[in-house]
Amino acid sequence: MTSSPVSNTTCDELKTLVLGMGNPILSDDGVGLLVAGRLAERQLPAGVEVAVSEVAGLRLLELVRGFTRVIIIDALKSPAEAGREPGEVVRYDASDFKGGHRYGSAHSIGLDTALEVGRQVGYDMPGEVIVFAIEAEDIETFGEELTPAVAAAADVVTDLVLQEVGG
Amino acid sequence: MKKVTVDPITRLEGHGKIEIFVDDDNKVQNVYFQIPELRGFERFCVGRPVEELARITPRICGVCPEAHHMAATKAIDNVFGVEVAPAGRRLRELLYNMFYVTDHTTHFYILAGPDFIMGPESDPAARNILGVIGKVGLETAGAMIKLRAEAAEAISMIGGKQIHPVCGLPGGVSQAITAEQRDRIVEITAAQVEFAKFTLKLFDDVVLANTGYVDLIKSDAFTHATYNMGMVDEANKVNFYDGKIRVTGPDGSELEKFEGKDYLAHIAEHVEPYSYLTYPYLKSVGWKGFVDGMDSGVYKASPLSRLNASDGMATPLAQAEYERFYETLGGKPVQATLATHWARLVELMYAAERAHELATDPDIIDPNVRNIPTGIVGEGVGVVEAPRGTLYHHYKTDDKGMVTNVNLIVGTTNNNAAISMSLKKAAEGILTGGKEISEGSLNMIEMAFRAYDPCFGCATHTLPGDMPLEVTVKSEATRDVIASVKHNM
Repeated sequence: MTSSPVSNTTCDELKTLVLGMGNPILSDDGVGLLVAGRLAERQLPAGVEVAVSEVAGLRLLELVRGFTRVIIIDALKSPAEAGREPGEVVRYDASDFKGGHRYGSAHSIGLDTALEVGRQVGYDMPGEVIVFAIEAEDIETFGEELTPAVAAAADVVTDLVLQEVGG
Repeated sequence: MKKVTVDPITRLEGHGKIEIFVDDDNKVQNVYFQIPELRGFERFCVGRPVEELARITPRICGVCPEAHHMAATKAIDNVFGVEVAPAGRRLRELLYNMFYVTDHTTHFYILAGPDFIMGPESDPAARNILGVIGKVGLETAGAMIKLRAEAAEAISMIGGKQIHPVCGLPGGVSQAITAEQRDRIVEITAAQVEFAKFTLKLFDDVVLANTGYVDLIKSDAFTHATYNMGMVDEANKVNFYDGKIRVTGPDGSELEKFEGKDYLAHIAEHVEPYSYLTYPYLKSVGWKGFVDGMDSGVYKASPLSRLNASDGMATPLAQAEYERFYETLGGKPVQATLATHWARLVELMYAAERAHELATDPDIIDPNVRNIPTGIVGEGVGVVEAPRGTLYHHYKTDDKGMVTNVNLIVGTTNNNAAISMSLKKAAEGILTGGKEISEGSLNMIEMAFRAYDPCFGCATHTLPGDMPLEVTVKSEATRDVIASVKHNM
């Protein structure tokens, strides 16, 4: 629902969704979309589909429904005390981002909550969620360019996802 | 003086926060509400063809891209001085009302639900959407999720895409819908009407039947006598897509009614050094600070203010609920911040009824959906009611239609002063008297904030998904931490 599928392999055994997330006009926030676009141009194994989403939260439900595994690529701005450098790539799995399911705004519904809501209402939700988070330098300035460190990280993450899906 | 910081507000850690300054008796001295700044939007837009703004501006916000698309498209109509084809207008309004159904439903179940269905001081571990599902049952939760999916399906038939519609063009929309699509939309909107009825019944059973909640809604800590703004049709009924902007006073009388294009003659923006976000106020009344009353130009632009600024709803079930709303809460205007939740459901009923009405109009499949522009005016304002408040888009272009100037006033910005005042008053009512600052009391203060469903125009990050809520009490003199409460949201 949230996406424009950028590659559509029709196959009875579609299992993995590679999902690039972000905002294409907020500088480094566009990196997830860029990586997804590159992956869509590659020959990927059967059963791997690529999509992009510029929105999060409950709107993701319909998108991930029916897949057994979701690989998300998104920019992340960590708090200063985390000490991460722009361009640093961190691989998370679902247990790393469990929230408390309570939010200040409809914006902020976490993926974990969205998946749990989906499961509760009987949707077929992915059992495995992997997130490649790219530490951003700037996600507050309108622009279509990535900062150099994040642009370099886009290549790294593209390879990491290919390894993950065996492509 | 001590400082209490509430920092749950945005996913961009360290940016959005509420700061509450209290003295030694926890008497509230002042409240500051700060949000992050997104930079360079105007620079990004200048020099682009103005038609692109209908695709660019929806990217400001991950929650209501449809509202930005509509306001932008209307502004672009005016830049080209083109009359919108009636069939195009109908499709825009249909799409927009279906979007409202989704947005208002989501707000009720996910943001209001935890406070009202679970209880404002209930166990925080269950005070969330999953707790709500546990309480209302899987059938209701499933219906809510199905409604969202179906609305997305219907919106994509008109909008071309499900999230960021691309249908709006100067003079109308890009394509008509087929009879088959119309039949499906009729089915979907009929189900929306039923779900809105069900949700109002749920609100009745859970909230209105509980005198504790009704007392909380009516309590002074959550009440503000401000001006109210909303868009109305020719009969002064609420309309989300088009009409004039009407402003009524704390006494309920009409202060002014104006065309969207004249907004600058009616709204000015106050600036405070500690906030990137301006504080819009009514020019004719003037800025008198963060205060209530007839002499203060502070206004609300929200579901509640829209009801207050109107004479009613244009559809029958919503009108009946509108009347019950005012009978129950003591007549117009209702200034209780928490009544915004009920007002939102009155609007949900209207949006569903209006969408169904448009879908069943025989002319909805009229193929003449667009008038082609033949000239250019070079300046245009587009206004819609976004779910969170009146949304103004104002563009200027050169004679080739390339953007030279962009100004936006978004829903949440309208309410900036009112939100700050609501937080202060709630904090005063809840913290004063040296009481311990508990998680529950903190949540009660946040309720004043959540009622507006504020939206910060940010990107779409969900990571790390675990946002600590931290309340720190500091000595104003020494900045030493006196007390601290921290838990995961």
